[in-house]
This record gives sequence, structure tokens and C-alpha cells, in this order.
Amino acid sequence: MEQEQTLLSEEERDILQEIMNIAFGQATADLTEIINVHVVLNVPYIKVLKAIDMPGYLKNELAGHEAISMVEQHFWGEFKGSAYLIFPAGAGKELVTIMGEGGGENEFESFMSDVMEKETLMEVGNILIGACVGKVAELLGDRVTYSPPRVAIENYATDSLPAEIFDLQASAIVLRTVFNFNERDVSGFLFLLTKYDSISWLKKSLVTFMEKYE
Amino acid sequence: MTRKILIVDDSPISRRMLKSCFPKEQPYEFYEAGDGLAGFELYKEVRPEITFMDLTMPVMDGATSIDEIRKFDPKALVIVSTADVQIKSLTRVMELGAFMVLKKPPSKESVLDALTQSEELLG
Repeated sequence: MEQEQTLLSEEERDILQEIMNIAFGQATADLTEIINVHVVLNVPYIKVLKAIDMPGYLKNELAGHEAISMVEQHFWGEFKGSAYLIFPAGAGKELVTIMGEGGGENEFESFMSDVMEKETLMEVGNILIGACVGKVAELLGDRVTYSPPRVAIENYATDSLPAEIFDLQASAIVLRTVFNFNERDVSGFLFLLTKYDSISWLKKSLVTFMEKYE
Repeated sequence: MTRKILIVDDSPISRRMLKSCFPKEQPYEFYEAGDGLAGFELYKEVRPEITFMDLTMPVMDGATSIDEIRKFDPKALVIVSTADVQIKSLTRVMELGAFMVLKKPPSKESVLDALTQSEELLG
């Protein structure tokens, strides 16, 4: 709690939350131009915690889901960190269906279906993370570059998430937004973890952003 | 003439951003609510000329609130101010009777345009 107060003031958190809201709205609009779905958005929220506490935090957040898959993508600019798109296990198959690619019956087709599921998770991750992080950076006057997306964990038991999958040196300003693909029973979570050395830049940029609205 | 403006948005920052974009030379009387239900209740009490409505909100979302407001007052002028710019979301709110959509973040230009169009309707 003390760390949370030190890192970001309440107003800074509110500004960042609104920026995240705008950015994720843009990201979903980009996604729906590519695949024919409607994404139901929820109110995003900001929480500050240590990266090492992320697995425990996620376990609570994902209660009810036995296993998850997670797409990871790093980004660099003044704003730098990692983005994680988390889906309950099985969501990949649903997304494949949404994107119009069916699974097969025999062993080869089943293998191809697994490959397709992974590719689909990465593609959806790439679009949502890229558009969202890009918009956050743009609104704050920055430009970022990205690592290729990768499926960091696949169908992994939620209650045994290894802490090492997160950069433990990172501060976890968790920008969390939950979304649902309408007409399909698929929901997901997007988290951004930012590096400690982005914090002072972030605080200054939030002030600059709001100066336009004085 | 002082126009009564109702802003319904769960984010105080977002409300502040929107208010700051209004022309300074015109007098406006602002009313604010933090969710769709509170917005609907305040609408009935204040009867604003123009309502700016966010969509993604707790308690009652913006689409439901527009529906309630338009049932109460079919002439209500509601401008949707949202980050959710998916075609399906926008189509739905227009079907519910929203006057137009203002994409977030707002700017002085986009707000002035929305106000000019609203004035034409209000007469």
C-alpha cells in the first residue's frame, strides 16, 4: 500500500486508467475490423503491486478457471515493460472457431488444430497488445517497439503459476482490463507491467497529458 | 442562454477532460453523474438540454441509461462520449436514440462540432 502511494498518486492512477480505457477501446475496434466479433468492454482498473506478487494476484483474479494460456509481448520506449494477455484454457479453440478455422478429427488435423490455436492466441495478442500499448504511448507522446508475441504458458494450472515468468525487477503497475467476446463464451484479461525506470517519465507524461485539458 | 449540460461518466478525469473542451465564451451549467443510473436520476431532476454519456460504466451502463432516458423523455438529446468505437456498439446506441457519438479523448474541436450540431437541433 505504501509503495502504491509512493509510485502513483490517486489522480495519476485515474488519468492512467482513463488512458487505458481509451487505448483498449481502440484496440478492440482494430480487432473487430479483422475478426467478426463484438468485444464487450469492462471498466479497467489500475493497481500497483510487486511483480513477485503477480502469480498470487492472478490466482485470485482467475479464480474459477483451472488453467490459463498467456501471450506475452515486451515493449520498449520511454514507456517500457511487458504486456500479458491471459485467456482461460480452451479459449484458443473458441477463438480459432471465431476466426473461421475449424479443428480436425484425425491425429494430423488435431496437431494442426493445436498449432492453429497457438497461432490464433498470438495473433489476437499481437493485435490487442500492439494497439493498446501503442495508443497509451501515443497519448503520452511516446513511440514504442515490440518483441514478437509468444505464448508464454499454455493450459497451465492457475494455482501453480511460476513467479519467474514475470520480470521480478519490474514494478507492477497493473493496468487490468477484462473483456468478453460477445456471442461466444470467451473472456480474457490484459495486464501491462511497467519497468521501475519508466515511472518518472510516466508521471511527467501524465501531467503533460492533462495540461491539454486545463 | 445558459445551457444545462449533464455529463455521465464513471471517470472523474474523463468528466474533467470533457468539461475543459467546452467553449469558454459560452455559459454552461454542468451537472455530473458517475454511472448510468445516477445519470438517469439526475436527468429527471435537472432536465438538461444536452447529455454526454459514457458507455462502459458500473451499476448501469450507458446504453441502458440512454434507453431509460429516452423512454422518460423521447426528445432527450444524448451524445455518446466513448472509447468503445466498435461498429456494433455505435450502431446499438444510435438505435437507442443517441444523437451522435463523440470519440474519446475529446478535443475542443470535436466538442465544438457536437455542440454546434446540437444547437441546430435545439433551435
